[in-house]
Amino acid sequence: MAKKKEQINKSRGYWAETWIRFRRRKLAMIALCYVIFMALVAIFSPAIVGTKPVVCKYKGGIYFPCMGYFNPSWENSVFISDSIITSYPVRLKEEDPDSWAIFPLMYNDFNRRVGEGEMPGRDANPTIDGHPSFQNPMGTNIYGYDVAAIIVHGTKTALLVGFVSMSIASFIGISVGALAGYFGGWVDLALSRLTEVVLCVPIMVLILALIAMVEKPEIWHTMTIIGLMGWPGIARLTRGEFLKLKQSEYVAAARALGASQFRIIFRHILPNALAPVLVPITFGIAGAILAESGLSYLGIGSSASVASWGTILSEGNRNLSMWWLAFFPGSMIFLTVLAYNLIGEALQEATDPRQRGK
Amino acid sequence: MIAYIFRRILIGFFTLFLVTMIVYGMIRNMPGNPVAQMEAQDPSRVLSEEDKQRLMEIYGLDKPWYEAYWSWLGKICTGDLGVSIKLHENVSSVIAVRIGPTLLLSITSLCLMYILAIPIGFYSVVRSGKRDERIASFVLYMFYSIPSFVMGVGLLVVFYQWLEWLPPGIMSDDYDSFSYFGKLFDVGKHMILPVFCYTYGGLASFSRFIKANMEEVIRQDYIRTARAKGLSNYRVIVHHAFRNTLIPFVTMVGLALPGLLSGAIILEQIFEWPGMGSLFFECISNRDYPVIMGMILIFSIMTLLGQLLADILYTLVDPRVTYK
Repeated sequence: MAKKKEQINKSRGYWAETWIRFRRRKLAMIALCYVIFMALVAIFSPAIVGTKPVVCKYKGGIYFPCMGYFNPSWENSVFISDSIITSYPVRLKEEDPDSWAIFPLMYNDFNRRVGEGEMPGRDANPTIDGHPSFQNPMGTNIYGYDVAAIIVHGTKTALLVGFVSMSIASFIGISVGALAGYFGGWVDLALSRLTEVVLCVPIMVLILALIAMVEKPEIWHTMTIIGLMGWPGIARLTRGEFLKLKQSEYVAAARALGASQFRIIFRHILPNALAPVLVPITFGIAGAILAESGLSYLGIGSSASVASWGTILSEGNRNLSMWWLAFFPGSMIFLTVLAYNLIGEALQEATDPRQRGK
Repeated sequence: MIAYIFRRILIGFFTLFLVTMIVYGMIRNMPGNPVAQMEAQDPSRVLSEEDKQRLMEIYGLDKPWYEAYWSWLGKICTGDLGVSIKLHENVSSVIAVRIGPTLLLSITSLCLMYILAIPIGFYSVVRSGKRDERIASFVLYMFYSIPSFVMGVGLLVVFYQWLEWLPPGIMSDDYDSFSYFGKLFDVGKHMILPVFCYTYGGLASFSRFIKANMEEVIRQDYIRTARAKGLSNYRVIVHHAFRNTLIPFVTMVGLALPGLLSGAIILEQIFEWPGMGSLFFECISNRDYPVIMGMILIFSIMTLLGQLLADILYTLVDPRVTYK
């Protein structure tokens, strides 16, 4: 009993305190749930929409062809050699009458049109008037690709871009900011100038120039470039936090105990500087998703084989009568950006020292 | 102060040098060159090897990029931006043609932003916490999160497709037949949607910014004193609180400077607006190095000037701030 009481009285850490204050904001919690939901959609996208079975039994073996949506080489080569890769429902039975397969929730593909007779009892996707219908809940584009499939698989792209590019940006930004703030002097001067140079060029301009350098831009190039350009804000904030924290008593204590500089930076200062740095990172994720859809809109972000919200939006711009091509991807971009903005804002208030004790 | 400005300008020149060198190195290392691009776009024009060689020499493409950069830098110092490879015109005149439409949009939207953001900010402070204010703030926040290009495409669908109002572009096809006022009216009509897309995001963040600042100011002691003196709510907010919220607001004017010229690449594509953003996009795809470099130079100068201007304005509105 006494032990339990001691536990209750123990003061909460900085992170726990931040989380408690974050949790009070209802809208931010809804946004967080939305982001988690989107992550689940992204992970399970091949099982939601696709033309490859989630599980199938074929010639005595159990296969998971839907994994091919993550990486083409994960789809067993037996399906390629037997040429059933684009017509599972019919060809599986033809090749092996004993086979069975469980298909994704919706039978549609994001980079090709579902043709006539591909799935028994299902019409081909319309190409001219692809209004939203039961078969294509968000309509089809002019090539007959299903918009819902592109939206669902595009979730994967959007989240990947957001997280990968911001991981790169945070790594550079936190390192640069920590070094500049901790060491000061000429290190600070040089790194601050560098930050200024990157801040000076309009970001879209640099991204365009860099993307144009790569002959066939892949989604990975876009992510890397957005990440390489997105760190100055993070660096500035980290530098400020380090400037402030390196004067604090516990750092002096650690130094007096003989801790190495490496240990002071990473074990003592960084964990306490990290919560406020999460704010620009969260806004950065929204920015990266925006940048990716903007680049795909211009047709230079990624190769055509990757599903992207921006690509359909630009098709919507070219075919204004097909309103669903603009409405659905536009809403997705809006909602996702809104969610990250709400989370970022709540974090900002939760980590703001002026709001403490409220 | 003078010494400070002088030092900042010196550092600014160094930053400019770095930025232009990095960008020059990058674009020269992009695959493809203007001559090859010329052929690709116009297959009927087959260039002989000698012609190609001659063109490469004219544009300095036969030299390695660092040598070409030095000669470019030398020309810049004499005020010569070079000649566009694609359009065979001086870069400065190419940019001069395109800068008008961009300024038309950006200045209009900047003015609108300032004119509207201040009353909206006032309103949300005065009515803070009341139901109408919360609804208004919520709507503004929604706007703030809608990317402008999503909004642009949406507006095109509604106004151009469904309502058949007018096609995108800066002017109607029969523009030349209009009278002077007719022309003015025509451009004005075409400006409405792009200006809206340019403005709403900034408007939302400006008014939120004013509100946040004002709420901080309102908690200060001198505001409490003013209220204790028995001043009216209006007088407290306009005369005592608002002046002090101006400080951070003024710095934002400086930071808005680069955006005035750079235009918005995607928005200009959507509305087929012949401005700086679309010029930049065209130049990148044509590998028109001189124009790209000229634009990068202008953008960078504007960004640095804006930062300097913001810092100088800061000392003007807040005498406590001094630079050594």
